[in-house]
Amino acid sequence: MKFNWKPYILTLIVLLILFPFVYMVLLSLASEWRFPDLLPSYFGLRNWLKIIGSETGLLHSFLISVSISLSVATVSTLSGFFISRSVSYHPKKRVLTLLTYFPYILAPVVFAACLSYFFLRMGLFGNATGVIVAQFMITFPYALIFFSSFWNQRTKNLEDLVATLGGNQLQTFFKMLFPIAKGMLLICFFQTFLISWFEYGLTSIIGVGKVQTLTIKVFLFIKEANFYYGALSCCLLIFPPVVLLYLNKRYVFNKLV
Amino acid sequence: MFLEVKNIVKSFGSEQIIKELNFTLNAQNTMSILGKSGCGKTSMLKIIGGLLSPDAGEIILNGINVANQSPKHRKIVYLYQEDLLFPHLNVFENIAFGLRLKKLPENEIIQKVNSIIASLELEDQSGKMPHQLSGGQRQRVSFGRAIIINPALLLLDEPFGSLDAGTRQRMQELFKKLTKEFDITSLFVTHDLKEAILMGDQIAFMQKGRLKVYQDKTEFINDKETGVQDEIGFWDGLKSKETISKH
Amino acid sequence: MRNKFSHIGLVFFVLIGVIPFAAAFIYALLYSLGIVGVLNSGFTLQHWQTVLASSEVFKSFGYSALVAAISVVISVSFALWLALKFRKEFDQKILSFIIYLPLAIPGVVAAFFTFQLFSRAGFFSRLAYQLGWINEVSQFPDLVNDALATGIIITFITIVMPFFVLLFLNVYKNERVGNLSELAYSLGASSKQVLWRVSLPVILRKTWTLIALYFIFLLGAYEIPLLLGQESPQMLSVLIIREIKQFDLSKISEGYAIAIIYTIVVSVAVSALFSRKNKTLNEI
Repeated sequence: MKFNWKPYILTLIVLLILFPFVYMVLLSLASEWRFPDLLPSYFGLRNWLKIIGSETGLLHSFLISVSISLSVATVSTLSGFFISRSVSYHPKKRVLTLLTYFPYILAPVVFAACLSYFFLRMGLFGNATGVIVAQFMITFPYALIFFSSFWNQRTKNLEDLVATLGGNQLQTFFKMLFPIAKGMLLICFFQTFLISWFEYGLTSIIGVGKVQTLTIKVFLFIKEANFYYGALSCCLLIFPPVVLLYLNKRYVFNKLV
Repeated sequence: MFLEVKNIVKSFGSEQIIKELNFTLNAQNTMSILGKSGCGKTSMLKIIGGLLSPDAGEIILNGINVANQSPKHRKIVYLYQEDLLFPHLNVFENIAFGLRLKKLPENEIIQKVNSIIASLELEDQSGKMPHQLSGGQRQRVSFGRAIIINPALLLLDEPFGSLDAGTRQRMQELFKKLTKEFDITSLFVTHDLKEAILMGDQIAFMQKGRLKVYQDKTEFINDKETGVQDEIGFWDGLKSKETISKH
Repeated sequence: MRNKFSHIGLVFFVLIGVIPFAAAFIYALLYSLGIVGVLNSGFTLQHWQTVLASSEVFKSFGYSALVAAISVVISVSFALWLALKFRKEFDQKILSFIIYLPLAIPGVVAAFFTFQLFSRAGFFSRLAYQLGWINEVSQFPDLVNDALATGIIITFITIVMPFFVLLFLNVYKNERVGNLSELAYSLGASSKQVLWRVSLPVILRKTWTLIALYFIFLLGAYEIPLLLGQESPQMLSVLIIREIKQFDLSKISEGYAIAIIYTIVVSVAVSALFSRKNKTLNEI
């Protein structure tokens, strides 16, 4: 009989994927875990309780991150949707799309370093508004590229059709374009939310340590060698996207098919 | 005259795709226009529908020059070869779309849509989504959606081009029936000779951006350019070969 | 239809999509030429000469490119293998969700995780100690902040590979590679020939632009090499930020010069990728 190795590899893959999640949770529950112990000497909810007591400002960071990412995702998804229409229907579409790729491809941290002078001059340095504007500058090209395939000849024909049936511009958007783009809008919102949620370098430069999002917190804890709090902030960082992914896969991808 | 098109010209770059377009059409008549792909027929329809602006010329509909009006004010509906149903709406809502834009009262919408659905023989399909329909059914919904808003003029761009022969024939008959029932004035573009002869009260032929309108069908059939003579020749040739081989 | 609406759209496009990039580029250029900036006192090529004369920039470029290339090649190969071998299994209910999970892990967390596992005081070191393989911390191989960038490469792979698996699975379906393979079999191809002449060429043809794009992303990666890299050579973004943000103000101009070089290289690469074919991410 032929040996079937597939189930073993599959199990290994699943374990490898789940391992980081489990490990982070365990680490966040631990403290006083000295080398070479394989298991920590303390294990319990102490770290989590401290957070709720807000001693470390983590809860605050969580809220800041949520509001920054929600703002960035909302603004970039909506503006990307509308503006990519103008770009995609333009006769010089190719050149314009190429221009979009430049800021998209550049390391955000380098982009931020080169822009920091302007942010300083506009009073956007070291505050949440500045971080939102800066993150928007990198999620916007993403949204623009994301929606460029939506504005094709078929969509144009549908728009023309609504016009000949007597619809105005507003009706075209609300009765036709938004409904048929619903799935894409949700996915773009999700993706731009993630880009913002995961962003570290650009935030650290424009926020100058004053806007402490979760990623900034993780770094601070790692630098202080406070790995247990670090792991705890990692948990806060990875579980919201997991929930979103679950919702996304269930509702968005199913609807798109 | 209900529709008068005068001296319409359109160029893309250096290429003139519509040359001196002139024709008239009576109300409740259908003009079928024969033309191969790339002859300028789609551009011509889009200009009349207001989706493309002409370089010069007038389009007089019911006594008013509409050439500078936006498409939503013209009451001219342009139908694509592709049925272009709204994927997020079911059959009923697709047909009701134009009425909803006008914000008609709900019971009026229901009554109008149901009566159109009956004329289109789509009674059982009303709750279905576009992807659940066959090609012929989709094309019928597309018709219904246009007819229900009572357009002054209907522009049809190869509406049956993607249908199989049987469905196509049934759709031609249904279309004839509907034009009578709803007093429709239309321009019907096709590349199919037989369809052009069948569908039109008037008939025209378009070639390289120039439209030639015939007095009657006999003139159309006798014009060498249209290809009708070749067609007749082909079938006659086949017939005579057969008679020769029989002997 | 030409209307006001789409004109406003274009204005915003230029305002948000083009001007910031141009402004950043011009500012960096002026700074590197000594025209603007705290300690600068007028046009000079001195900063550029210093940068071009020192080997650090080129080392950093080569190092970044190598690390990124190795990571991409390993990720793509593994992902192809996984996607082709476990295609049917990944379609199952729970697995089809689990393979999306890695997307929820950001670079910072992945780097932290690698550090926790592979550093000398990390999980694997402890495991090795408990199993009696090592007696002291220093006996565990240096896998983090090491010269070979092992930690960086491992983390890059964990970040990038899951994405490629999803991408390849998707392309396999959309391009109907399954049907094409069956066709090839019926034409008499062996399974090896099907793999090398049908499956791989079809998938890679469709995805190579995106693969190249990921190489460019990794080239400019910041937080992962910041945590797991060593003092020298450093990866590009880390080097640029170190120069620009350090206390020695005289180095700032050099940092901007490197940023300019990096921006030009990346822009040229992107232009080459996208100008010939009018291809966008979504067509993939």
